[in-house]
Amino acid sequence: MADPVQSDSVHALIKEMGLTEANIERRKRIVALEAPDLKRIATLGDLIAGNVDEFTATFFDHLAKLEEEPRALLGSRALADKARRLKRDHLLAMARGEYGSKYVEQRLELGLLYSKAGLDPRVFLGAFHQLLKNVGNRAMARSQPPPLESFEAFMSLKKVAFFDIGLIVDVLVFERERVIRQQQEAIRELSTPVLQIRERLLLLPIIGVIDTHRARLITENLLRCIRDNRAKVVVMDVTGVATIDSKVANHLLQTVAAARLMGAVVIVTGLSSDVAQSLVALGIELGKLNTVGDLQGGLEEAERLLGFRMAATDAPAMSAPKEN
Amino acid sequence: MAVPILKQGDFLIASIQAALSDHDLVQLRDELSERVGRWRCRGLVIDVTALDVLDSFATRTVRGIAQTAKLRGAETVIVGIQPDVAFTMVQLGLTFDDVETALDLEEGLALLRRIVRGSFRRAH
Repeated sequence: MADPVQSDSVHALIKEMGLTEANIERRKRIVALEAPDLKRIATLGDLIAGNVDEFTATFFDHLAKLEEEPRALLGSRALADKARRLKRDHLLAMARGEYGSKYVEQRLELGLLYSKAGLDPRVFLGAFHQLLKNVGNRAMARSQPPPLESFEAFMSLKKVAFFDIGLIVDVLVFERERVIRQQQEAIRELSTPVLQIRERLLLLPIIGVIDTHRARLITENLLRCIRDNRAKVVVMDVTGVATIDSKVANHLLQTVAAARLMGAVVIVTGLSSDVAQSLVALGIELGKLNTVGDLQGGLEEAERLLGFRMAATDAPAMSAPKEN
Repeated sequence: MAVPILKQGDFLIASIQAALSDHDLVQLRDELSERVGRWRCRGLVIDVTALDVLDSFATRTVRGIAQTAKLRGAETVIVGIQPDVAFTMVQLGLTFDDVETALDLEEGLALLRRIVRGSFRRAH
């Protein structure tokens, strides 16, 4: 039925989203899907089985009408066929009364497909509603059983539908956030280098947003490097940190204090005028910080502390640009 | 267990080799304070390289040692605080604000020499 690659990613997704048996049961409780509902839904079984192709078509016709959105889904023949097949299976499964992990797996497979095709959740909701409306109309139009019973059966089916919507929307959102999670991870890994720029002098450029997790990584990384490089002075450049609030300032202070415990002096550079003013306005006590205006100044101060003295040679290998 | 206290010129070196009980710490404090006076030391290095935890009592005692030694005429430097220990201490708010720290024994001794010579100006 499902190809192995797809079913692998479905199983991975089930784990990542925490869709345990208990979670599935909870989702059922949320939509109040109970035993009497299953019996009522069973009375719709024949109707759905008999018209399954028409109902499937309702869903995809509605998508086709919204020309701008689902092009990716309908544009590719293979994807569209697969989506149609899964939707058809889904409808048949909806009336079958089994909503366990197998059913959830199938929902996720379809959800993943939508997500791959870039289907907007709102568009999905619209099309799914059209489908349900069609099922409802058909159910009420029957002569037997009486309309009231049909209506109750349809409302029970609707609970399953909402159970499904919950899953599909969760998948769509989860997959969309996956990109964000990956990017955050990438930013974290990229942006905490500790560079040795002179004997016993480290440079720690910080770029981007500092949250608690990242502050911890930065500090641990720095402390390890202080030990490994036997560093005495660290220049921490925060030019790339757009905003520093009390939390971030606190992280910086902690890093500085920890470095001091290991015998290293930290010089903070690159506090912009805006940042400095907002820190003062917030009343954050940074008196313990050793600050120098810019990176160049910080490096010079660090070299002074370490006893280096820079001097220009008489014969530079590269002549300085002429100032006009 | 007892902490070996070595004399090296004008300096004393106390190298803590294993986790100390509170009692051991108090004993170390008394012993160091006594020897600083007896040997007329100018500096004291406490090496904690082997420790993987420094709790609040240990921190307070070590600070106490430093203040006592200062009153008896010797400067104190703590050396060898490990990265994990440093991080944990900072999180607990134990920052040894009034005690000098250095990376290792070599650095500690160099720092002491500078302090004693009076030529070292604290960076902050």
